[in-house]
Amino acid sequence: MLIRLAGGRVVDPANGRDGVGDIWIRGDRIVAPAEGEIPDAVYDVSGKIVMAGAIEIHSHIASGTVNTARLLLPENHRAHRPRPEETPLATAGWSTFETGCRYAMMGFTTLVEPAVPPHYALHSHLELADIPIVDKANLMALGDDDYLLSLLQKGASGTQIADYVGAMLAASKALGVKSINPGGSIAFQNNVRTFDYDDVVPEYGVTSRRIVEALQQAVVDLGIPHPLHLHINNLGVAGNVETALKVIGSAGNKPLHLAHLQFYSYGKEGKRGFSSAAAQLAEAVNAAPSALTIDVGQVMFRQTVTISLDVIRQFAAVPMAKPRKSVIFDGEINGSGVVPYLYKSDNYYNAVQWAAGLELFLLIKDPMRVFFTTDHPNGAPYTTYPDLFALLLSRDARARWLADLPKEAVEMTTLPSIEREYSLSEIATMTRVAPAKLLGLKDRGHLSPGALADVAVYNDDPDRAQMFRFAHLVFKDGDLVVRDGRVTHYRYGRTLAVQPSYDAATDRRLAKYYDDLYGLSRDMFKVPADAIARDYRFEEVACGQ
Amino acid sequence: MKAFVEGAEVSLETAAAAAARVLEQARQPVIAGLATDSAGARAAILLAERLHGAYDHMASDILLRDIDVLRQAGRLLTTPNDVRLRADCLLLIGPKLLNIWPGLADRLALAASPRLSEAKARKIFWLGPGRGEAAEIGAAEITATPAALPLALAGLRAAVLERRIRINGALAQKLTELAETLRAAHFGAILWSAESIDRLAIEMVQGLATDLNQKTRFTTLPLDSGKNVSGVVQTSGWMTGFPVRTGFGRGYPEHDTWRFNATRMIESDEADAALWISAYGDEAPQWKRQVPMIALARPQTRFPYAPRVRFEVGAPGQDHDAVEYARDIATFTLARASAPSDAPRVADILALIEQNLTKGYEAC
Ligand SMILES: [Zn+2]
Repeated sequence: MLIRLAGGRVVDPANGRDGVGDIWIRGDRIVAPAEGEIPDAVYDVSGKIVMAGAIEIHSHIASGTVNTARLLLPENHRAHRPRPEETPLATAGWSTFETGCRYAMMGFTTLVEPAVPPHYALHSHLELADIPIVDKANLMALGDDDYLLSLLQKGASGTQIADYVGAMLAASKALGVKSINPGGSIAFQNNVRTFDYDDVVPEYGVTSRRIVEALQQAVVDLGIPHPLHLHINNLGVAGNVETALKVIGSAGNKPLHLAHLQFYSYGKEGKRGFSSAAAQLAEAVNAAPSALTIDVGQVMFRQTVTISLDVIRQFAAVPMAKPRKSVIFDGEINGSGVVPYLYKSDNYYNAVQWAAGLELFLLIKDPMRVFFTTDHPNGAPYTTYPDLFALLLSRDARARWLADLPKEAVEMTTLPSIEREYSLSEIATMTRVAPAKLLGLKDRGHLSPGALADVAVYNDDPDRAQMFRFAHLVFKDGDLVVRDGRVTHYRYGRTLAVQPSYDAATDRRLAKYYDDLYGLSRDMFKVPADAIARDYRFEEVACGQ
Repeated sequence: MKAFVEGAEVSLETAAAAAARVLEQARQPVIAGLATDSAGARAAILLAERLHGAYDHMASDILLRDIDVLRQAGRLLTTPNDVRLRADCLLLIGPKLLNIWPGLADRLALAASPRLSEAKARKIFWLGPGRGEAAEIGAAEITATPAALPLALAGLRAAVLERRIRINGALAQKLTELAETLRAAHFGAILWSAESIDRLAIEMVQGLATDLNQKTRFTTLPLDSGKNVSGVVQTSGWMTGFPVRTGFGRGYPEHDTWRFNATRMIESDEADAALWISAYGDEAPQWKRQVPMIALARPQTRFPYAPRVRFEVGAPGQDHDAVEYARDIATFTLARASAPSDAPRVADILALIEQNLTKGYEAC
């Protein structure tokens, strides 16, 4: 099958391209213009905007914790307007099926679930298997696991730690490693209620910082393309910009990704002792080595639910739950919490958070280093993305929102003074080129010949939110899956995972450890390739050296 | 393994075609039982959607008691492994916990001290056990009948918060002492099951755990019922956003614990065809009205009336590999077949039935 997308404005910053031209697709790949051949299908996309498929790096869409939120909050489903579609379960609230459809409608073709403790990997993969259309992956959460902390306590070598991380990745089939308030879950089990970067994990005598350094190094040693994905300490606390600055300052030249930095961009100014320190933080990011990347975790005003493995933080948030109910989970390898929350534009704190997120987006200069997230659903559901794109693209749009916010909150930020407007090319860099690089997905994020034919075509609608909400056409692997903002049919994508090499003796040691400590076979926790037989294919993402 | 139409043995294909006719001629079919592995549950939910039918589980009364409290009040919880390794103080609530989970004492290593705790010993209490149950695991017993449990729990909460207890006599004294021990715990866990305590008691357990967390760390361990009951609820959760008792009458999922109670739907003449799934044991449906029934069940099942179409299916994890919720680890695992056979899986038969449907949209 040869397809020609004719006459669109091709926005492909990886190739320095922003101009009218054609894109050719043969099978599942982009190809050079096949002059002299008659295409099987020609789509006239003149006046439209053509980009590679977008890549989501951090969205809580497929895990036991997400499912707990679904069961806790049946009322949230009513917020989803039923829209009959000719595909199974496509109208099922915030189900896995809806997730695949809605992301595809916005032109996303690859999604990453970022928070899966190794013991719950199979659950995550079962959910990923029911997300249609897109490719997907998850990140494995380490940092509160007894085995790792015991290694650190004993002063194990970097090689031993890398071998352990490699063995756990192989068993979990994940794309990379995440760590969440490292040591915090164990600290909480020992009745610690706040846990800082240099605090010591009770019983193990190691600091959160030491865990971060060890995992950061292990990821490098294993050649995993995606850097350590870090959720740092003190999320959401006034004055926590100091924590973020400390972590940035100590990251060195090793790759490190800091998740949802907006939640760490708070100072203590003003009469409420809560202000935006995002400008200062953006400055630090700009000055840090380019191996340091961040995503924003933008807040948008609406009902949502916070879902996090940062159990200390979630426990602290329980009194703020709206509606007033929550789930706090301890667990043997990482805790978690589910706390519903309502962000309101007339709330001082929420307004500061909203502005701080946008300040990070706009003041961090390099769109290769700042990533587009709302930390779905923690800052806002991913369905608010189109509105967020519009805010980045237009200062006027921001001014209209700012006018509705409490004045005293706006004064605690620099947002009104920021003139920058993202270009479409910068949006494409942030949501296509940069995520492909960050995750090690070489054949995505661009439209060069040989690239996977994941393509999104948008109407050049002056209403940018409308433009990004309903793509005109979306191709996944060269297959047309969205037309005029509607999913045409299901197909099932691949699951991306790394397969790093490690010393095989590690598996023998771990088998013995599980037998001894849990009295259970470690095999129970693994994700066998044949566990989900139907439509579920793993694709290896290569590790470097 | 065999398939039957009107009691006569036929090929799988013939039976699947007959089942498809019954289901699609129904105005409102309902899928019930739903005791199957996760692949079977997934196939059943997709089939329910295609038929614009509803689905329910044989253990709904128990599992929804649990879920109703969850979505009313939230929950503190942990895993058996966490209790095994870190809990230095255990409080069991209500009778029959050892019947519900015979391997409990072993799995939680109750006789040993918690390996990953600075506490060197484990204290175990049982409030309201059945006769002789506490002694079986060496727990200190505080007697309370099931009916008296909510009041005893209220008394315990008051004692934990150092408020006046509205109970007299020896029980008050025992609860006060227990409260003191619980407050001194390093990391404690309350064990309970929706099979043996009622809604009010579950709410009290959650309230007690919340209160205890003001000063120390406490959580709860709801005992899983096994047989992939939790796995079916989880699968339903990500597929539709809701637990079981969900219907697709309007083309999208709606959840209603009263409306989509399968037995009620059948007895009240709302449902006019039933698909019964029971792959783990020999459970048969409880309804009395003889609605046309398709059954996917174990060979030894005895039905109250003859199913129109009956398929003999294999047991998950025994006849075939199965992804199911393992209560030992409180999450999914792949259970390899312990005695592999060619008995069909529920998911395969449901797929065959779906292929024989002539109406509804084309599944993509
Ligand atoms: Zn997150």
